[in-house]
Amino acid sequence: MTGLGTAVPGVAHPADLLEPGPPAGRDDPAARLTGRGMRYRDRATRLALCAGRDALAAAGLPAGPERAIDGAEIGVVTSTNLGNVDTVCETVTRIAEETYLGTSPMSLPATASNVVASWVAISYGLRGANLTLCNGPTSGLDAVHWARLLITAGRVRAVLVVGVEPVNPPVRHLAGDERALLDGAAALVVESAASARDRGVPALAAIGPYARKGSCPQAIAEVRHGLEAPIGLWCVPEHRMPIAPPGLDDAVTCDLSATLGGCSGALGVLQSVAAASWLGAGGTGMALTTAGAGEQADDDAAAALILSPVGR
Amino acid sequence: MTEVVVTGLGAVTCHGDGAAALWEAMLAAAARPPDRPRDPLGHMDLRLMHLVPGVDAAERAGRFAITAAAEAIEDAGLDAEPPPARTAVVVGSCMGEVGVRERGRGPETGDAWNPAFRIAARVGDRIGAYGSNVSVASACAAGGFSVSVGADMIRCGEADVVLAGGSDAYSRVALACFNRLGSVDPVRCRPFDRDRRGTVFAEGAGMLVLESARHAARRGARAYARIAGIGWSCDAYHPTAPEPSGRQIARAMTEALGGDARLGCVIPHATGTPRGDVVESRALSAALGEHLAEVPLYSLKALIGHTGGAAAALALCAATMVLRHRVVPPNVRLGAQDPECAVRLPQDAPARLDRPRVLVNGSAFGGNNAALVLEEAA
Repeated sequence: MTGLGTAVPGVAHPADLLEPGPPAGRDDPAARLTGRGMRYRDRATRLALCAGRDALAAAGLPAGPERAIDGAEIGVVTSTNLGNVDTVCETVTRIAEETYLGTSPMSLPATASNVVASWVAISYGLRGANLTLCNGPTSGLDAVHWARLLITAGRVRAVLVVGVEPVNPPVRHLAGDERALLDGAAALVVESAASARDRGVPALAAIGPYARKGSCPQAIAEVRHGLEAPIGLWCVPEHRMPIAPPGLDDAVTCDLSATLGGCSGALGVLQSVAAASWLGAGGTGMALTTAGAGEQADDDAAAALILSPVGR
Repeated sequence: MTEVVVTGLGAVTCHGDGAAALWEAMLAAAARPPDRPRDPLGHMDLRLMHLVPGVDAAERAGRFAITAAAEAIEDAGLDAEPPPARTAVVVGSCMGEVGVRERGRGPETGDAWNPAFRIAARVGDRIGAYGSNVSVASACAAGGFSVSVGADMIRCGEADVVLAGGSDAYSRVALACFNRLGSVDPVRCRPFDRDRRGTVFAEGAGMLVLESARHAARRGARAYARIAGIGWSCDAYHPTAPEPSGRQIARAMTEALGGDARLGCVIPHATGTPRGDVVESRALSAALGEHLAEVPLYSLKALIGHTGGAAAALALCAATMVLRHRVVPPNVRLGAQDPECAVRLPQDAPARLDRPRVLVNGSAFGGNNAALVLEEAA
């Protein structure tokens, strides 16, 4: 990982995600983006554009003709479970009340499920593989894994991964409870170690083993199999396990669902950003990220991903 | 690189359930007129869509996917026992199971959280697949991305068997949006026709069983086709319109072709929108060069409509059957071909497949492009 970005109220820098309590301040990160085109972008897209822009800049890959990697070699993988629910619900209402003529042509693109990944690609000139995952609680970690796979398969040289979830009345209604929910996004840039070296860009973290299993303990056991280094940071899933798996007692825990609210498809990306910040700041050991509780909470799966320090 | 083969097919279209029903319709080349979905709240001028007959269920997209998946599993000879432990499911969809949400939250649907993108989970649950379960939401190219993702899962060792495809059903939102854009053809889906006015959406699902050639051989399964190439790209141009030069569509095709532009057949994305068909024709010319003049295109959407996230998956099912039967079916007859679409569209009779190699294209809103090349398995 060579670049990180966040668009979360009260979170000024990716490392702030590691703070133990809820972020102070309710600034709207989407307000950082201005311009005529922003008016018609849905909330999830605007948040994703903020986080994505920062991650690209941090990786030394800001949009522009001088970019070190051609846009055709940079892909986008987006994870969101609720991203365009607001537009879909609004469109349903408009059709019912005013017929299809009441819908706005400007908002129609946002009824397509891949709208966030598409706008990120359009805005930043990223013409490589473009993928949208709506995979439930594990979706964010799945997205990081798929970014790595796209690179190892030779499809692209770098990938911008974005995890985003908006909060608005349809999301609040569909979520069906009063718990706090994340209204934000996180983004990271993945590229091969050789690519980072060639560009002279420092790598913040290396992506290690990944597993998607029926339960969180199974996923953790699989990614830790054969690893000798201790886990120094454990980013826990939204539904915490009643008993911590062995070997994690000494790890610092990071519970982003507790500090930011339910993060759904953005959780895994937020965790990866937090973990990379922790490793980049000299954290000792490896970082374990986990999302989805699997059978313990009626999720259909749980995922785990190891991030490790680079060059230490 | 690990060779990935197709060992099972399942299809659900407006011509009924089953890949055999689809093949029969392809050979007959007789397009059905679009249906008029019953939807009291579907206030739009052109409420036209091809519906899957005989299904009266709220969760239609999931139903179609499960039906196609069960057929593919049986076709692959995997139905006698529980599927292998490392069986993954990847299902693409444009709108997901959106019908329930569009109906409102009355007593029929309850208040339970009802995510739209749960089709893959339902399929995995029904067939007992304990491997990875992935929902791909890359709009109308989702089926092509799903099969690509499935192939990559096998190549990277994440799964032994992957059930991959796509499914979509009637969506008031999607159809109303296309009405609003003026992109629904009042007659039928007429790709490459001079008088085409837009697309006609359709319900359907296509599922393929993928596995490594070694895995298939070990269990004595016959392989219908091998995945010879995959190419992905993104226009990064406009949320709904294709980039006019078709450069990125051509790039995906070129990557999938892997340096050999000679083909026996092409199943294009070709939805019938005036601009889209012209752009894809240009892209085909750029990717295939002189070979475009000799290769027949088979325009599937003229027969079954535009099945959204299932479209490329159904096209891959069709391509597999073209390879299996070594026959290119005749296209649904055009009124007059658009001179700006300089492609070959045989319409008279089935023709022998000259070269056992078929290109399938999928494109979507946002400029998401996926191209796959299937070849006859060794």
